[in-house]
Amino acid sequence: MKFRKLTALFLAGAMTLSLTACGGSTSDKSSTVAKEEPKAENATETQEAVAEEAADVSDAAVVGEEGDEKLVIWTLAKDLETFAEHYVETHDVQVETVVIEPADYATKVQTALNGGQKEPDIIVGEPQMLEDFYDAGYFEDLNQAPYNAQDYEGQIVDYVWKVGQDAEGIQRAISYQITPAGVYYRRDIAKEVFGTDDPEEIGKLFKDYATILDTAKTLKDKGYRIFASDAEINYFSGDSAWVVDGELNVNQARLDYMDLVVDLYQKDYTAYANQWSTPWYQAMAGEVPILTADIQSYADDSVNVWDAEQFAEATKEMEKTQVFAFGLPSWGVLTLRDNVGETSGNWGVCAGPAYGFGGGTFIGISALSEHKQAAWDFLKWVTLDEETAEWWIEKSEGDTVSLVSVLDQHKDDENPVYGNEKMYAFWLKQAEGIDYSKVTRYDKVINDAWGQACTAVKQGEKSKEEALGEFYDIIESTYPDITVNR
Amino acid sequence: MSGIGYKIKKGLLYLMLLLLALACILPFWLMIVNSTRSGVEITHSFSFIPGSSLVDNWKQLFGYVNLFRGLGNSLKVAIPATLCTAYFSAVTGYAMAMYKFKGNKLLFKIIIIFMMIPAQLSLIGFYNLCQKLHLVDTYIPLIVPAIASPGIVFFLRQYVQATLHKNLLEAARIDGASEFMIFHKIVLPIMAPGIATMSIGAFIGNWNAYLVPLILLNSPKKMTLPVMISTLNAATDLQKNQGAIYLGVAISVIPILIVFAFCSKYIISSITSGSVKE
Repeated sequence: MKFRKLTALFLAGAMTLSLTACGGSTSDKSSTVAKEEPKAENATETQEAVAEEAADVSDAAVVGEEGDEKLVIWTLAKDLETFAEHYVETHDVQVETVVIEPADYATKVQTALNGGQKEPDIIVGEPQMLEDFYDAGYFEDLNQAPYNAQDYEGQIVDYVWKVGQDAEGIQRAISYQITPAGVYYRRDIAKEVFGTDDPEEIGKLFKDYATILDTAKTLKDKGYRIFASDAEINYFSGDSAWVVDGELNVNQARLDYMDLVVDLYQKDYTAYANQWSTPWYQAMAGEVPILTADIQSYADDSVNVWDAEQFAEATKEMEKTQVFAFGLPSWGVLTLRDNVGETSGNWGVCAGPAYGFGGGTFIGISALSEHKQAAWDFLKWVTLDEETAEWWIEKSEGDTVSLVSVLDQHKDDENPVYGNEKMYAFWLKQAEGIDYSKVTRYDKVINDAWGQACTAVKQGEKSKEEALGEFYDIIESTYPDITVNR
Repeated sequence: MSGIGYKIKKGLLYLMLLLLALACILPFWLMIVNSTRSGVEITHSFSFIPGSSLVDNWKQLFGYVNLFRGLGNSLKVAIPATLCTAYFSAVTGYAMAMYKFKGNKLLFKIIIIFMMIPAQLSLIGFYNLCQKLHLVDTYIPLIVPAIASPGIVFFLRQYVQATLHKNLLEAARIDGASEFMIFHKIVLPIMAPGIATMSIGAFIGNWNAYLVPLILLNSPKKMTLPVMISTLNAATDLQKNQGAIYLGVAISVIPILIVFAFCSKYIISSITSGSVKE
């Protein structure tokens, strides 16, 4: 019967559906990274909670005394929930934290606020989302009474303060953390090869792209590799915004960056690891095999870079090396701490070829909120309160806060993982140099397309002209408003 | 049917089926294995042998979310939605197949056209509607729209045409049954295998629904399972959470397996059944 075929088809469809659905929720690979130790305090919840959803304040997400004013936070990182739990210990409010997956956060906020949803009192954004959120008017103007945020200018690290302003310079959001980028390097290798491990001196080895290539060559001659991947300079790349006055801005610095990536790759200066892959993490702990370009691009699949055992077996015969440096924002402090193993204490951090930053959660008040005063109290407590900042440094085991006075107090703190370097002083100095105006709403798409172009050129798939042409095509079709001058 | 050629053919067939079965089972096995390994192990390598971090992952997972509440919420949405889909689609499909009325063909065409429009397109309008009706953060907008499922109506209409013979209805009418009685007492049992088949699909679809619940549900305690598990991705310590995410997904698959186990006999019989044999 014809009908059987139909049934079979539908069944097959149903099954693939269930498969893809499962795959979808799990395959979201790590593009963000470990920043903070999670807490497991809410494990007390019991099964009976399933039975009834009725009035139930013991829920993990709602904290505080029942009957008090309720503040609702929509966030994309767990941090604010930790803040909220601490907040209600000293304040008479209830706080409900809704954590939404970063990839879907903008969709959720846009749909809800466009639909006139009054529920969230506090909303947040990452730098690349902020401009859209500002334009859509989701964030309350913090410069007006009773907030008068302008009075607090100078208490927060400058670039963070500026990222929280819209095009007219009105304060819309504030962040409690800073995320300047730095170069993390191995002190023992530095001493052996360059005779010093002083961050000032090592910073000079990364001061511009030509010097980086020289440094890379020196290291290679001694049997080391400067970076594990060729993407380590990414956070420092570019000296101006991608889009200036509605025009795509591909200036010399961008092209130089592309050349640097190509040179690092083609001259065999890296260990050919991909960022966030097994060998990349392993390189933090010491010796790794030098892979080939083909393995990195998966053209040669004899080595499985995602399986530690197979990886060790397949690369047994390969030449080994140690990697000198990683380029990561300040939250990399925690990533390295968890992965360095026996090289702990042998690390240092120095400045890169330019100032840069990566990520950060900016907090603002929803323009539609009905509890604006309570929301402002919370916002102030999270971002502008010294005690909170002190507590957060301890709680997060070393996150870098944005409050200048607290960074000052901690400027003599020494971090044993990094050879007792004074990290907070360093990050503050890096943060002061950051040019906030480089951030645009187009960054994510343009950076991805640029990364693709760099990859195509370094692997010799395309000539530089071809890759650039394709890059322009992508930008033109994604953002018809942007003028592209080829 | 002779000798060696037949055996080779059959051997090949089994080999292919075996490979296919392996390909289907492998992701599930990996998911189960990964739910017993730590996040660092998962990002550093991949393995077919279970690890030893099940308890840690469990603690981690329940430290973040109350998975049982998520299960309960998902059941609260998926079961009524599936029942709505099943019953109303059966009524519609039966009526369209068996009754002659004006506009039947036109309606059928409209249904086919609506099958082709992706639901995501109307999301913002749908949200605004729910907002105006004060239905945001309730389960109603997740359940009630399930009444209209063009794809399933289409399927059941074809199913009725193929399995139900008009003679049966005429016999019932002669015996004095009302039209609704005919549907409930005679047609529904005959359609049961087809309805069960479609219900499995609908249940899985509702169970795994992510985007609409994400947009519509605001309170964490009302979140359905997929939305709840996705919040683990939002947590800052992503590497550490990988194992917990796998464990959450593994647990969330269990109800689907149960539903499938109960309904699989209907699936098989739906392929072989019919009221009047030709």
